[in-house]
Amino acid sequence: MVDVLTEVLNVLLLLFLVVCAIAVAQIRDMLSAVIVFASFGLIMAIVWQQLSSPDVAMVEAALGTGVTTLLLIAAISKTRRAE
Amino acid sequence: MEDQIVRITSRLVAPFIQVYGIYVILHGHLSPGGGFSGGAIFGASLVLVALSFNLEVGAKQISHATASVLESGGALGFVITGLVGVAVGANFLANRAAGFPLGETGEFFSAGAIFIITAFLGVKVASTIVTLFYNIIEGEDKSGDAH
Amino acid sequence: MEMLIKIVHNYYYMVAILLFVIGMHTMLTHSNLIKKVIAMNIMDTSVFLMFVAVGYTYGGAAPIITAPANEVLYVNPLPGSLMLTGIVVAVSITAYALSLVVKIYRYYGTVDYDEICLIRSQE
Repeated sequence: MVDVLTEVLNVLLLLFLVVCAIAVAQIRDMLSAVIVFASFGLIMAIVWQQLSSPDVAMVEAALGTGVTTLLLIAAISKTRRAE
Repeated sequence: MEDQIVRITSRLVAPFIQVYGIYVILHGHLSPGGGFSGGAIFGASLVLVALSFNLEVGAKQISHATASVLESGGALGFVITGLVGVAVGANFLANRAAGFPLGETGEFFSAGAIFIITAFLGVKVASTIVTLFYNIIEGEDKSGDAH
Repeated sequence: MEMLIKIVHNYYYMVAILLFVIGMHTMLTHSNLIKKVIAMNIMDTSVFLMFVAVGYTYGGAAPIITAPANEVLYVNPLPGSLMLTGIVVAVSITAYALSLVVKIYRYYGTVDYDEICLIRSQE
């Protein structure tokens, strides 16, 4: 029973990843797209915890989500926000 | 970006992020993480404050010049720790052969030189991320128009 | 039918391929340079997902050895370590690309690829 629930959770997380990736492509406002991309990275960190590699999850949460989002926001604040 | 909610939230959250980053750096030889992830977390907190306030507040924490010096200092400390092994007569980055006490597995003070190397790596990575951010946000104001 | 069961059992690979295709489509069809950088990050992450899923053992524990190593089954730590390096490279490339985008904006006044082509054709 527990295994089935874990599988359902994994499938839901992966579904969320695909939805986030499509949403990033569709959103016209760049700042909103970056925030959706940050949630994409956080869900990806949870997926890697599910795949039993906690160090990759930690680096993804720190670098792939935190630093990349900060750099993107810095670049958007130097350029324009609308697509 | 002038927003009251972002400013208050980042000011409240930043010290906890920094404590967590230091924890990850210091426990790098025991748990997942290490110098790289901990340094990235610590550097991200510094960048967060500089981005949500302005560059003057960020430069009061750590300026561009200080970050550059710390970046080189972290790499220098790594090399010096490696050269201790050569000075004793063992290999570069030697651990037990260079006389570092290994301690008990699972204790905080264990694993000899890995502890020191991880600390230097954390300093290096944190200052590198701050330097990256300053390079993007400052642009070429100092070097002039290149094209 | 047998093919379908194989696909369902390997759903991590399928999602990795799907994410890669979504990222590549976004990168090719959108003209905003910053959106291209985000799409490149999505492609990177899908490749990492593929590799880490290859290294996963069903029911395996995380590869951290405590004082008495008592776990029987560990996941393969090698793809995880490789992808750690990959994440670092992805962030470095993102920072480099964004600095180039900021420079382009300073020169042309836009980050849209079509507008940049228009300006270059008129020069």
